[in-house]
Amino acid sequence: MDAFLDVYREHLAEWLPQLIAAAGNTLRMTVLAFVLAFAVGLVLALAKLSSIAPLRLVASGYIEVMRGIPALAVLYLIYFGLADFGIVFDAFPAAVVGLGLNGAAYMAEIFRAGIESIHVGQMEAALTVGMRPLAAMRWVILPQALRVVLPPLANFGIALLKDTSVASIISAPELMLRARDLASSSFQPMQVFLLAAAIYLAMSLPVAFLTRRLEARFSRGHV
Amino acid sequence: MHFWQRLWDNLPYFLEVLIPAAGMTIRIAAGAFVLAIVLGLLLALLQTVKAPVIHGVVRTYIEVIRGTPVLAQLFILYFGLAELGLQFTPIQAAILGLGCNGAAYLAEIFRAGIESIHAGQMEAALTVGMTPLAAMRWVVLPQTLNVVVPPTTNYSIALLKDTAIVSAVAAPEIMFRARNLVMETYLSAQIYILVAVMYLVMSLILAFISRRLERRLTASG
Repeated sequence: MDAFLDVYREHLAEWLPQLIAAAGNTLRMTVLAFVLAFAVGLVLALAKLSSIAPLRLVASGYIEVMRGIPALAVLYLIYFGLADFGIVFDAFPAAVVGLGLNGAAYMAEIFRAGIESIHVGQMEAALTVGMRPLAAMRWVILPQALRVVLPPLANFGIALLKDTSVASIISAPELMLRARDLASSSFQPMQVFLLAAAIYLAMSLPVAFLTRRLEARFSRGHV
Repeated sequence: MHFWQRLWDNLPYFLEVLIPAAGMTIRIAAGAFVLAIVLGLLLALLQTVKAPVIHGVVRTYIEVIRGTPVLAQLFILYFGLAELGLQFTPIQAAILGLGCNGAAYLAEIFRAGIESIHAGQMEAALTVGMTPLAAMRWVVLPQTLNVVVPPTTNYSIALLKDTAIVSAVAAPEIMFRARNLVMETYLSAQIYILVAVMYLVMSLILAFISRRLERRLTASG
């Protein structure tokens, strides 16, 4: 045990700044992929709930396909597959786009559930007072749905934060890739990966804790 | 046009490699699923025991596993433990890593299921002379099926897709074999599209089986 900890005494000052800098990239990747997933997911949810059949079909198809394949396969398709067609991404943007487009399918289902949880009378009332469907969606339905989708959105964010580690497999510069480099250069994989895991934990636990408090408050008050 | 022609020409070879690899994907997923159910049930039951130490250990395990990436856990198992002299094969590490990870998620599902059953059920079973374990086995757990089966089958589909990352420790499943094929033929787009289709087919079949299983198991409950 002592020998195990001695490794940290010797290397922590060298490893920690590198891993924390890489964790910054992990956060950046998470936020960018989340924003992309949010935007595309909202469009997909609205398309799936629209009265136009082809739109519904395309959205459903996209959601089913994306939810049926691993995020890693999407990353490979974007990073290696598109290169065949002359579309070359750096690893980092490829990871953001891949995780974002993959996450959009999950996000769409969260939004759809949120929108459907709002009573149809709300939409009817908004239309009756003369709002157009899109305006009613924007000003009446979505603000109410946001409350419902907030906890699942936060859970999605936590899952996404952890999933960014997969991007290390296409060599996108983030925490796990840095950890793998340090592990192979130091021959101390156990200590390095435990440290990396602790950093992930430090990032995800506060969000998880806040989410649970939020959920507890919602379940007490509303619905 | 060249694009699909090349996929078509190489398809027999690709399938010859990737279909056995899909078998390995299914074996890893199945092994991890069984391990996750057994360990998850154990963790859920341990939380019903009124002993703060056990409770603390189990909660810590669940929180730590759910708060860290499965890839990190896999690397700790495969590379980390090797450093300490415990060398798993890639397949063993894959099943252990995904199984121990899934156990934390399933434990929460099972715990919610057990908590959804009215305490009077357990009390009544104890009153008629059943031991706590027998009461859990014959009275409480069967009633949790309605609550527990749908999220568990959802987990199995997520697990099937998560097996893709064990290619990072060189477990010879679809993703790993696909990468080798790409290095061999340079047809990356064709191969990864084929891989995506294979995962999609497996997920859809599993989803179909899950829905039928849910209907059968929950209808009686």
